[in-house]
Amino acid sequence: MALTVTLTLLEGFLQTIRLFILTLLFALPLGLVISFGSMAKAQAVRVPIRFMIWVIRGTPLMLQLLVIYYGPGIIMKSNVWGSGDTGRFIAALVAFVINYSCYFSEIYRGGIQSIPVGQYEAGQVLGMTKHQIFFKVVLLQVIKRIVPPISNEIITLVKDTSLARVIAVYEIIWKGQSFIKSAGIIWPLFYTGVFYLLFSGLLTLLFGFVEKKLSYFR
Amino acid sequence: MAILEVKNLKKSFDDTEVIRDISFTMDEGETLTIIGSSGSGKTTLLRCLNFLERPDSGVIRVKDEVLFDSDITGTVSEKDIRNRRLHFGLVFQSFNLFPQYTALENVTLAPLLLAKENTGIDLPAIEENARGLLDDMGLSDRMGNYPHELSGGQQQRVAIARALALHPDILCFDEPTSALDPELTGEVLRVIKDLAGHNMTMIIVTHEMSFAHDVSDKILFMDKGVIAEEGTPEEVIDNPQNDRTIQFLANYKNGM
Ligand SMILES: Nc1ncnc2c1ncn2[C@@H]1O[C@H](COP(=O)(O)OP(=O)(O)O)[C@@H](O)[C@H]1O
Ligand SMILES: [Mg+2]
Repeated sequence: MALTVTLTLLEGFLQTIRLFILTLLFALPLGLVISFGSMAKAQAVRVPIRFMIWVIRGTPLMLQLLVIYYGPGIIMKSNVWGSGDTGRFIAALVAFVINYSCYFSEIYRGGIQSIPVGQYEAGQVLGMTKHQIFFKVVLLQVIKRIVPPISNEIITLVKDTSLARVIAVYEIIWKGQSFIKSAGIIWPLFYTGVFYLLFSGLLTLLFGFVEKKLSYFR
Repeated sequence: MAILEVKNLKKSFDDTEVIRDISFTMDEGETLTIIGSSGSGKTTLLRCLNFLERPDSGVIRVKDEVLFDSDITGTVSEKDIRNRRLHFGLVFQSFNLFPQYTALENVTLAPLLLAKENTGIDLPAIEENARGLLDDMGLSDRMGNYPHELSGGQQQRVAIARALALHPDILCFDEPTSALDPELTGEVLRVIKDLAGHNMTMIIVTHEMSFAHDVSDKILFMDKGVIAEEGTPEEVIDNPQNDRTIQFLANYKNGM
């Protein structure tokens, strides 16, 4: 029994990890694009982007998952997500990417705006280009400042992936819960918690390492 | 011939005129000091010279080259602006060193980036030059330290070396010792005095009157965006003629 449970949970965990990694892969860079949009001088860009960030951050991810999965089908009378497991997974991924890139964008914006204007001006009077100032002077300082909040967000994402079950993405908790019905046992559910703990523990170590690597300057 | 000529410079922010028609010239190797109460426009003037602010009108000429002339319309490319601003260097009140680079790297960063654009520049020579400059600043044993490991006085000396590394024609200082503890101002002022002794052309905004008296060839007293009085240190500090200058210096002696 223990083996069956472990294998089943691993299968669900694989789905969890897949959602986790793909979300980061898309949301980390997309967040940067959105943060530039939210700092744009042109109101026509800045205002709608800030509005979108407000909506996404102000509503539950659960609701966004449902709207993104069911919305297109109801509005356009066609199932853009395709049928089956893959379709639901893609819908979930899209919802997670939108949600997390908005959160990341706010962290990036905070990080970029926290760099004193004197750093830019020092670069300017030394004849550097805007490009050089961003990449050679500002970027590493921004990274140093955003590592702690980004790590928090990423560890939250590990746990948030379980929300994908509302559109029947068979992540690890779904799998664990299935044993309640099929075998009348609850311990697999606790077992899923061990997976989460180990994984977020690993991430905590990793981010601690990165923070330490960047502690050589202030 | 004058190395710098500033003519009828004006700059407003919104509705307030901060620089109101300023003209002056200086010769190569001169040390020009600008004094004046807070808010009189000293920083803005230096920022205009360094292209951190765009003047509303006027002319800035260095040697024979017109760097800024409000009567000439048309846009200037970013590259041109960068080349023009390299005639000047600026040392900030708050140092503004790059925290992720060592003292040495702070000094070499900009010259190395510049060398990448212009072929034929000897890279080892850049580091050699930077080491020499830090040595002159009395920092030979601090080259590998990061800014947060240095005292304010040491940081400011790194900043001076960093500005010198690009060989500016004119080096500007905006209250270089105002952010320092009193016991650290001496080491920075000494370094600046040294540069004056080596005929570096400098414009220094400072509140250190005895230093200004010592080091300057010429002093400008600025008041509300204009030059209210100018002359030698003996003229402006010892025998001020303008009421405002007299009042400013009197406040000063009373330990404002
Ligand atoms: N970017 C700015 N926007 C608006 N007002 C400014 C700006 N920079 C400076 N000022 C104003 O210009 C005046 C002169 O400032 P500044 O040149 O810093 O004087 P100083 O260096 O002599 O103390 C001050 O009243 C200041 O508030
Ligand atoms: Mg000032």
